[in-house]
Amino acid sequence: MPKCTIDGKEIEVPPGTTVLKAALDHGIHIQHFCWHPDLPIDGNCRTCMVEIEKMPRVQIACNTVVTEGMVVRTDTEKAHAAQRSALELLLINHPIDCPVCDQAGECYLQDNYMRYGLHDSEVEPEDKVRKRKVQDLGPIMLDAERCVLCTRCVRFEETVTGTNCLEFRSRGDHKEIGTYKGEKITHGYAGNLADLCPVGALLSHDFRFKMRVWFLKSHDSICPGCSTGCNLEVDERDGEVQRYRPRRNPDVNKSWICDLGRYSYKEVGATTRVTGARRKGAASWEGVSVAGALDVVAETLKEAGSASAFLASPQGSNEDLWAFKALAEATGGLLDFRVGDPQARLQKRSDDVLLREDRNPNTQGGLDLGLGRSGVAEILAACGRGAVRALVLQGPELLRLPEAVDALAKVPFIAVMATHEGPELDRAHVVLPAAVSVEDEGTFTNYARRVQRFRRAVPAPGDAQPRWEMAGGLLTRLGKPLGAASPREIFGLLAKSVAGYAGLDYKAIGALGRAIEEAGLAPTPEARA
Amino acid sequence: VSARVVTVDRNTRPGVFPILFGMWVTLQNFVRTLVLRQASTIEFPEKKRNTSGRYRGVHLLTVREDGTPKCVACYMCATVCPAECIYIEAGERPEATIEKYPTRFEIDLLRCVYCGFCVDACPEEAIMMSRENDLVGTTRAELIIDRDRLMERAKLAEYGPGYRPSEHDVRRPVRIAALERLKAEHGIVPGMPTRR
Repeated sequence: MPKCTIDGKEIEVPPGTTVLKAALDHGIHIQHFCWHPDLPIDGNCRTCMVEIEKMPRVQIACNTVVTEGMVVRTDTEKAHAAQRSALELLLINHPIDCPVCDQAGECYLQDNYMRYGLHDSEVEPEDKVRKRKVQDLGPIMLDAERCVLCTRCVRFEETVTGTNCLEFRSRGDHKEIGTYKGEKITHGYAGNLADLCPVGALLSHDFRFKMRVWFLKSHDSICPGCSTGCNLEVDERDGEVQRYRPRRNPDVNKSWICDLGRYSYKEVGATTRVTGARRKGAASWEGVSVAGALDVVAETLKEAGSASAFLASPQGSNEDLWAFKALAEATGGLLDFRVGDPQARLQKRSDDVLLREDRNPNTQGGLDLGLGRSGVAEILAACGRGAVRALVLQGPELLRLPEAVDALAKVPFIAVMATHEGPELDRAHVVLPAAVSVEDEGTFTNYARRVQRFRRAVPAPGDAQPRWEMAGGLLTRLGKPLGAASPREIFGLLAKSVAGYAGLDYKAIGALGRAIEEAGLAPTPEARA
Repeated sequence: VSARVVTVDRNTRPGVFPILFGMWVTLQNFVRTLVLRQASTIEFPEKKRNTSGRYRGVHLLTVREDGTPKCVACYMCATVCPAECIYIEAGERPEATIEKYPTRFEIDLLRCVYCGFCVDACPEEAIMMSRENDLVGTTRAELIIDRDRLMERAKLAEYGPGYRPSEHDVRRPVRIAALERLKAEHGIVPGMPTRR
């Protein structure tokens, strides 16, 4: 482990670490543009200049490996002069159109100028080289003028997606980024280009002009889109989700998410959300309060006793599943969650970056918690025989299954917890409004058995409640209370009895999750690059 | 604690002099206002009080030559506004050099505290203040004025422009403050521009 000194601070780093990474990891900021933690080093922007003892000239920190006894200064007059002039060079042809640029507020040029630059520009705006602005590349808007030619996007296309859509053309002042003949970018990871671009050259079409970023509040979350469980930053303003961004987790999704997950934020604020409970009356649906609907369900479950069946949903968090399992056990009915066999697709990749074929975030959690019990086919058969007098569904998956329609028609009482409206809900007798993951807190267990925590970002619409809370309400009505009043407490109960989760709590899971290691279930290597 | 005791003799007559003195004061004011026309009051609304050229009255949005707003919907005014009374929605303009403009721009004049920060924050000199100060409406909704009413400059001729950014350069002090903070917090002294 080589030891070095950066700005008088003694730092010990693993062999092969670069000066820039060592400094950033230890709270010393050095400006940079082209360096990205999850992309190969290029060293082209020349802004991360530092002075290293015994080296005659300033060096770039991003591509200089720390050696034993190295003494680095980032704050000398010489280093500052080099950093400042490199930044000034980047700004020579930069159009100062921050007022109309969506990157403003999270722009490396702005931030670094305020800290390292603060020079007066010597180039009049009229003398700047003009390039093509407002180029529509599908999910991305390209403004070649704002580009600082850092090649982050080129390296992303090369090493992560392997699509090589973006290339440079021309030379010198006229060098500019673009796609071949201005073709649109069609791969499913294009949104990341807007995230990794340090300036406003590549911007998200979806987020364009929608919001200034300084109005947003970020919350840690987990993408509910597939079993990979990419870490998310949920950006919200006044309780309305504005966008999802990837949150860096080197062990899961690096700095990327797929566009399917990225744009799934729209489902949270969709007009089709179920916002209130309702029950089927004599002629049509009747709106009821959630408490009233739970009374009805509890009453029916009491009558049905063990002639009941429960289907959990792999969309629910571990806490939701735990509470639901407790409910099934309290009643003595049949229990499963594997509608459409998600466990068979759990590990399968949809592409070779992040997306997996199992589009549920918590199938592994369901397996770990032992919810795969009676078998869905068994439950359906019981329904067909008329042996099920009450069926409680944690999600509407079963109602959507065409082969289940006949069997379901023979069940006299179906209650479903649903987040979004759909024609399938007409097959139920009571609909309970459920919150989605960004409106609740809890944990998901991903395909590699990594338990990851998500936090509440926005309030649930209308009367919608977390699924664990509704299951808890039913248990209280049945006279067998759950004994926990929050996801944190439920996880405490869960950790006591589920193999592999012992000793875990929300604090131990932390921001980046905790992998449960067990023989034969080693985590598979993640995204390329 | 001893209180000061004043004894008033109610039996002595004040005489006619105080009355005459009072009438003299009244007569003086009567002559001053009616004959000499030196009253402090004005006949509002027929007459308007003269206000300073930097008076902070109702806002207006400046207009380009083609009649579109000069505003580029950068949200600087909405960000700096301490009363949070500015609501903006942005849309796209066909010109690539301007790109952005407000499709909605509303100011709630009842919430506004007329501090003029929006004018200082504007990088485009798009929002200014007029000297209009007789704000009347019959409903609250009427006093949330939208983009098109802000761009109408009919009343500008009547009242004259008020607070506007050309009064002084607000950006220079901001930059100097940033430099000082940088020095205090990080000990960094970025080269102030040296002309070569």
